[in-house]
Amino acid sequence: MKFLYEKDLRQMKYNILTSTKHDETVRAIAERLGMSDAKLRMVLIRRFDMSLLENLESRWQMGQRHADDGDPVAEELGYELFTRFIPLMDTETMQTIYGDTTAMTREMPFEEAIAKGKERIREAIRS
Amino acid sequence: MKKTVDVSIPLGPMHPCWKEPVRLKCETAGERVLRAEVELGYMKKGIERIMQGRPWQEVMFLAERVCGICSVIHNMVFIETMEKISDIEVPPRAAYLRVVVNELDRIASHILANFSYCYTIEHETLAMYLLNTRETVLDNLERITGSRINTAYMIPGGVRFDLQPGDAAALLADLAKVEEEMKRYVRIFETGPLIALRSKGIGYMSREDAIRAYTVGPTARASGVEDSDLRLRHPTYRELGFTQITRTEGDNFARIMVRFQEVFQSIDLIRKCVDTLPEGPIRGGGLCKAGEASYSGEAPRGELTYTIRTDEYGRVLDIAIRTPSIMNIEACAHFMVEDATSIADVTSTFISSDPCIACNER
Amino acid sequence: MSILQKIKNTVRSRSIHVSYVDVGSCNGCDIEVLACLAPRYDIEQYGIYVHNNPREADVLLVIGSVTPQWVDKLRDIWDKIPEPKVAVAIGNCPISGCVYARRGTLTSPPVEKYIPIAAQVPGCPPRPTEILNAILSVAPLIFKDYEEKQP
Repeated sequence: MKFLYEKDLRQMKYNILTSTKHDETVRAIAERLGMSDAKLRMVLIRRFDMSLLENLESRWQMGQRHADDGDPVAEELGYELFTRFIPLMDTETMQTIYGDTTAMTREMPFEEAIAKGKERIREAIRS
Repeated sequence: MKKTVDVSIPLGPMHPCWKEPVRLKCETAGERVLRAEVELGYMKKGIERIMQGRPWQEVMFLAERVCGICSVIHNMVFIETMEKISDIEVPPRAAYLRVVVNELDRIASHILANFSYCYTIEHETLAMYLLNTRETVLDNLERITGSRINTAYMIPGGVRFDLQPGDAAALLADLAKVEEEMKRYVRIFETGPLIALRSKGIGYMSREDAIRAYTVGPTARASGVEDSDLRLRHPTYRELGFTQITRTEGDNFARIMVRFQEVFQSIDLIRKCVDTLPEGPIRGGGLCKAGEASYSGEAPRGELTYTIRTDEYGRVLDIAIRTPSIMNIEACAHFMVEDATSIADVTSTFISSDPCIACNER
Repeated sequence: MSILQKIKNTVRSRSIHVSYVDVGSCNGCDIEVLACLAPRYDIEQYGIYVHNNPREADVLLVIGSVTPQWVDKLRDIWDKIPEPKVAVAIGNCPISGCVYARRGTLTSPPVEKYIPIAAQVPGCPPRPTEILNAILSVAPLIFKDYEEKQP
């Protein structure tokens, strides 16, 4: 008698990501984050459920349209984009990174601070 | 996904309430649902991969087999995308006939969605009434197009069959019957105290959440998202003076009521079409050319987008279909069900967003 | 024929429990099965009761070509149905894969590879009356004198 009906979903999740539009979206997100596509795909397959993966494209579009209006630091880091629209990280981690980066922009040039903030985001996503 | 609690209640893939297989894993603390995870893959046929490299004559039939419930709109949006690529003009009579068939399909789909909801909350009487009314609508669809479900009625540059005078009279007579019956059923649904207990204030989704998750169709309109009906931008519907229905409650009751109201609106649209049907040919003809286009139409469940790239022989090189259920199921699983007060409301909330798994996975 | 068998035959002829499983179709056949419930076709006047519980079903309606998730699960569902049981394939998909049996597909039809099929109803989709007719014709063949036919 079988009591466990769980199946390995990785291949099916990968199938979802191979569709034309999803592939474009994954590449766009990877470019925005400065990661490799394959690495990002692995993270997406591990963290997201299948319905979220199917919806990746429209969420990305809505994120580009509605997320982070006004604040330049939040816009560069993708504060709302990567917590609310594409939930790759939790809000607390993002809040700390955002706070630290805002503090850093006062001491060093803007681009340098943003680059450091992005590096920390990449680390948080990879972990 | 990351687990927060140990108890995870699976619903499906075979469940008396689901018409199609899908698995919902609800993480609960007591009766309270903390979060839900959707497991798909039960209906993944890879239809986009099959379509690639095939001539449009074949893809046309594949397109309507993406989803059986709303097959007409899949046909219509695919054909209109091909027309946009190749600059094919549609004769006015054919454009009106397309609206007639599309609205008949919408009525059938909305009634089926409301049937499923009534069946899920165990109001079987109303459910059976609705299912019987749907048969009358399907009869008319069959009389006009020759088939009940997969009609393949539209082709680039027109439609296949003309509306015969006898059929038009029968259509109007049946619509009068459907409208009269539906009025009664809506009254039953609106005034039923037990239905209200199971529906009002359950599965609430705010307007901000609806926009954030990009919900479309009746689910968005029940949460008060304006300008979310793509029929407002369709030239034929503009001629007919289409206006959008919006409700602001955002709960299960509102989602069902929006569908009921849209049924009446569709009946009016069909009547207007049949009364003002222009004379002329129904097929203009035209050649499909090379190009790339993206086009959206309003399916019964919401915005349906086809992105197609073709070569000079009319072969489809690349295609991407974005169906409304992708957005609606995701919104339902991650916004409506989240923090639901009871696990018993999960099924009815899920059904109220009219999920179509075949659309979702293609 | 024993008296017990006669009673069983009479009871079984008017109480057929139907369960349906969609293993990856366009869901056009799904809604045609649902349409059988409508008062117009009135499936329950023949003693057929449609629900979705394999553990108390007699007839399993299989719809669709088999998708990766169902490859192992379909057999599980079939094993859960108590004897006597029968599976009916609805539509072209379980028979041949219909439009999905092309290059690039993720499905693996036919259903006969996984479970034994007693009857097939071709059509894309078949009409509700045809589905009804198939259930009514195949059920007596399997259920009549079931115990006596056992070796």
